[in-house]
Amino acid sequence: MSSHATSPAGHDAHHEDHHHDPGFLRKWVFSTDHKMIGIQYGITAMCFLAFGFYLMMVMRWSIAFPHQPLPEWMSWVFTDGWKARWLQDGKVTGETYNMFGAMHGTIMVFLGIVPLGFGAFGNYVTPLQIGAVDMAFPRLNMASYWVYFLGGIIMCSSFFLESGSAKSGWTNYSPLAGFADGQIVNQWLAGQTQWLLGLVLLITSSLLGSVNFITTIINLRVRGMTWMRMPFFVWSMLVTGFLLLLAFPPLEAAGIMQLMDRVAHSSFFMPSGLFTKTEGLANLSGGGSPLLFQHLFWFLGHPEVYVLLLPAFACVSEIIPANTRKPLWGYKSMVYSVLVLGFLSFVVWAHHMYMTGMGAAVSTFFQTTTVLISVPSVVIITAMLISLWGGSIRFTPPMMWACAFIPMFGIGGLTGLPLAFNLADLHLHDTYYVIGHFHYVVAPGILFGFFAGVLHWYPKITGRYMSKTLNHLHFWPSLICMNLIFFPMLVQGMAGFHRRWYNGGDAYLSKAQDSVNIFGNTVVQHIDMNIIMSMGAWTMAFFQIFFIINLFTSWKFGKKVENDNPWDATTLEWATPTPPGHGNFLVEPVTYRGPYEYSRPDCDSDFLPQWIEPKHLEAPDKH
Amino acid sequence: MEIPYVVTPRKDTGLFNSKIAIWLFLASEVMLFGGFFSAYVFLRLGADFPWPERTLPVLPGLINTFVLIGSSVTVVFAWASLKLRDWRKFQIFMGITVFCALIFMVLKGVEYNVKLHHQALRLKDYSVIEGHLGYETEDDKPVLDHKGNKIEENLINVETSKLTFNTVRFHKPWVEELLTQAEHRHSKIVLTADVSAITREGQAAEVIAKAGEPLSIELLNRIQKTHLAARSHNGVIRTAALRDEWKKAKAANPDKRGWQIADGVNIDMAVVTPQLLSEISTVAFTVDPSAHFDFHPRDIKPAATQSRLRDDTVIDGKLLDSPMVFHHVDAIDFQHLAMKAEEKGIDPEVAIENSWLIKNSPFAKQAWEWHQGEVAKLKAQLLKDYGADKDGKAIRFPTHKELYRIGWKDFAEKAEDEGRAKLAPADAFKEEFFGPNYEARGDETFPGFSVPREQVGFESKFTPAWNPYYAIYFTITGLHGLHVIGGALVLAYYLFFGRKMYLSNPEWLANRVEIGGLFWHFVDLVWIFVFPILYLM
Repeated sequence: MSSHATSPAGHDAHHEDHHHDPGFLRKWVFSTDHKMIGIQYGITAMCFLAFGFYLMMVMRWSIAFPHQPLPEWMSWVFTDGWKARWLQDGKVTGETYNMFGAMHGTIMVFLGIVPLGFGAFGNYVTPLQIGAVDMAFPRLNMASYWVYFLGGIIMCSSFFLESGSAKSGWTNYSPLAGFADGQIVNQWLAGQTQWLLGLVLLITSSLLGSVNFITTIINLRVRGMTWMRMPFFVWSMLVTGFLLLLAFPPLEAAGIMQLMDRVAHSSFFMPSGLFTKTEGLANLSGGGSPLLFQHLFWFLGHPEVYVLLLPAFACVSEIIPANTRKPLWGYKSMVYSVLVLGFLSFVVWAHHMYMTGMGAAVSTFFQTTTVLISVPSVVIITAMLISLWGGSIRFTPPMMWACAFIPMFGIGGLTGLPLAFNLADLHLHDTYYVIGHFHYVVAPGILFGFFAGVLHWYPKITGRYMSKTLNHLHFWPSLICMNLIFFPMLVQGMAGFHRRWYNGGDAYLSKAQDSVNIFGNTVVQHIDMNIIMSMGAWTMAFFQIFFIINLFTSWKFGKKVENDNPWDATTLEWATPTPPGHGNFLVEPVTYRGPYEYSRPDCDSDFLPQWIEPKHLEAPDKH
Repeated sequence: MEIPYVVTPRKDTGLFNSKIAIWLFLASEVMLFGGFFSAYVFLRLGADFPWPERTLPVLPGLINTFVLIGSSVTVVFAWASLKLRDWRKFQIFMGITVFCALIFMVLKGVEYNVKLHHQALRLKDYSVIEGHLGYETEDDKPVLDHKGNKIEENLINVETSKLTFNTVRFHKPWVEELLTQAEHRHSKIVLTADVSAITREGQAAEVIAKAGEPLSIELLNRIQKTHLAARSHNGVIRTAALRDEWKKAKAANPDKRGWQIADGVNIDMAVVTPQLLSEISTVAFTVDPSAHFDFHPRDIKPAATQSRLRDDTVIDGKLLDSPMVFHHVDAIDFQHLAMKAEEKGIDPEVAIENSWLIKNSPFAKQAWEWHQGEVAKLKAQLLKDYGADKDGKAIRFPTHKELYRIGWKDFAEKAEDEGRAKLAPADAFKEEFFGPNYEARGDETFPGFSVPREQVGFESKFTPAWNPYYAIYFTITGLHGLHVIGGALVLAYYLFFGRKMYLSNPEWLANRVEIGGLFWHFVDLVWIFVFPILYLM
């Protein structure tokens, strides 16, 4: 197999074109290099993912084994003082469960997946793939990371406040969220307020990031990199950038208004005549609209789903052609689909709100758009599937994850259809079915895409492969456990399990044993699934250790790459030295062709990178 | 490494990097303000209270509109001067721009300040009065509070005999405030009884604070420390005990699920109790002799004999009369009451005649009667101007606001009708900015009035708390103001520190000014929407 790499393998990272040594802080901490910022984003996001996973493990204990104290192996993380405040004789209380639930969702979505997909992969790969020396605004890029970091710290540190952290779900609906932590005198030190402050910072970070990405993609494409020669990865990032740019601000508006409700006692989202058991008649003017918050939240919330998803699509769509040795099937239709997807994602938000009684006409509109949006998603996923057809597939570690991504995301997507329909949603709303559905999209779907991405670009970042053995130990248990956790949720949900039962339906059960409740005996029949699911979750946590080991040990001890293009891929990031230095390319590349020129019949080798001049073709150009 | 297209535009896109970036940023900003404007529409359409229409003074807003439009023009001139490489002219035009921003913010500040000192009160029957709080003078001297300030705040008074603090949640500034008030009233706050606690496992209780010890933050902290240590110690013991119980229960019922045996699994307190330390979650203090303490209404949940502060401090003592005393009332508004009456199918006029305010305030009654006369005159005028339909009904009739609101201008007109003070034109112009001039118009125009606490439905200054209209008004204009400040700072930076860049790379500076100017236009554009929506509609 011939290599078209531009530099010999193991080329010194500190190549000649930058002479100055930026010093430790500039290089590792306050770096303006998009690759370092990408790595920072990646590591930070993975830490947050691990933390979010941990919160979920505690919640799963409470669901599977209500009334039983948290076991030592899970509770050692907390100090005794914290446990005395938030656990009752070691048991997870409803309030603590709510806190963990709200923070699990927030952390996973805003601090984990988005920064990992957009911040880490986007930052590292996008400028390389379009042949740019860096992002258009390197310092803005650095600011974006640090604002994100600060926002994350503010949100998570609220666990140590007297009020505890936010506890009104990751959606933070008012008036529930408006009343939570109302007893705290200094509202700036209430968990709910800190959540809002953290969120405003995270939105600022995304704004800086998305402006930077879009500008970079529009203006910094290298010579010859026309729009239709851009890898699908870059297209995905472009659309993601637009989603972040335009969908987040309304949530920022909602966040600011909720902040006003908290600290200035306004009533944006507080209706007239609110009465609570503890407070009595609320000392508020009232006259606000709780529904308004839901509208503003889901105006972000739904495009956010695609902000999570598109980077995973992006990773998988790069990995599939490189490992099937044939072009991505239907590249153009995928590009148009992703654009349509981006547009449609702005007009589907209220399908999260069928239960609010918006009216049949509104529901019908959103039902229609929601069903419409499944078309471009299915086009993309089908194109990926067909791309496998007739390929000589190399089951490299990234390819295993990419192959698992397709069916897992498929389940996640298809289980969403019943939720799109108003009538079916009335039954399934707020049950474990919804949890199962979107976790299939996010956990075995998107996360698998990201694992694939890590394994795929790791050789470029470090010059070494990740271990295949450790990957097997990570991949197979993860695949099995993911389904053990999430498939029973779909079943439980259809049986009527509510998503916010902190004791897993136990309270219902004690009532239903003798008398008939609205679910008949279905709770009894399905409650033991809780234990299987929780066991699955903890087992999966254990097997993630192999990934962490793999990630860090391969950096030093992994098998070295043979050349700068170890996967024999065609896109521009493989034209850089390994790892790429500051400024990325030794010689500014020129793009001569589309991104997925694999197995061209007129070409000797089975791949033709974008940067190889046409004269290197052995066969004459037929066109 | 050099990033391309920082100064010169890229050929195929025709744009330099930061120009793309600013347009993207502005798109994002459009969505942000779009969110707020949508919220405005949503709130106004769904309002279950009379939305304050045309309630803000138009003149300052109008001046601000022209100030901003003018500055948008000068910022373009400043950019053009840079393109023509005329530094002097750039300085002049940019100077005017920044000065306009300053005028805008000063006017905004005046507008805010007037509102933040203006009290509104909604009675339980939904009639509303507006004005200024303050206590009557005694012997020509204003009544002072313990800090020597004139009492303007509306406070709730409790004849306090006992204070019980939550040892975890007590709010330090409030404790300090209580101490100052006690000192001012020559009263002492002392520990009611000995606080004794088991602080080490297996030992007897020891006294950690003696009865009669005066209240101090240090004392509360000491008790808190003991409490937290005990809580955390007990948590460990109890958790271990419960774990053991579960282990035993599971061993005894191997084929049963957790939920089937949970009811029978409890900690054996007889075994555990000797190992526990004392938790002191509350601590009581006596106020000796009992004294009047006053509290901000938002901090206290008042009750006849036992009130509670928001930090969980329990206040034992009799709730005293805590009326809201208006030094000047400058508006009486029955719109909300009329709205509620119409919802119930009651004639609004009858509801108003029966309102607490009309029955208890002779001035209100008199003003209402005068206002009825004005409304009759208005109706006659409308009938004369626009005629009647074939049923004999007037085509135009007074608005809800004209029917049911007696504003400060009505009071002023009434006073002039009755032959009292008329202001000079200059003073009347000033009123357009600062609101009614109480001193010149006199106490008879804007009399004082006292409302007992039990009649108070909801009260607030004209802040975001008063109603969602003021909430959205303050939020949108506040955010817009922040944009003005931010933009002005950037433009001022080019003005005062741009010289060096002008000499080395004038095109780059021109680009930057162009970017800043685009942002400035956006800020102006937002105001063009804000002004009609919040001031005129």
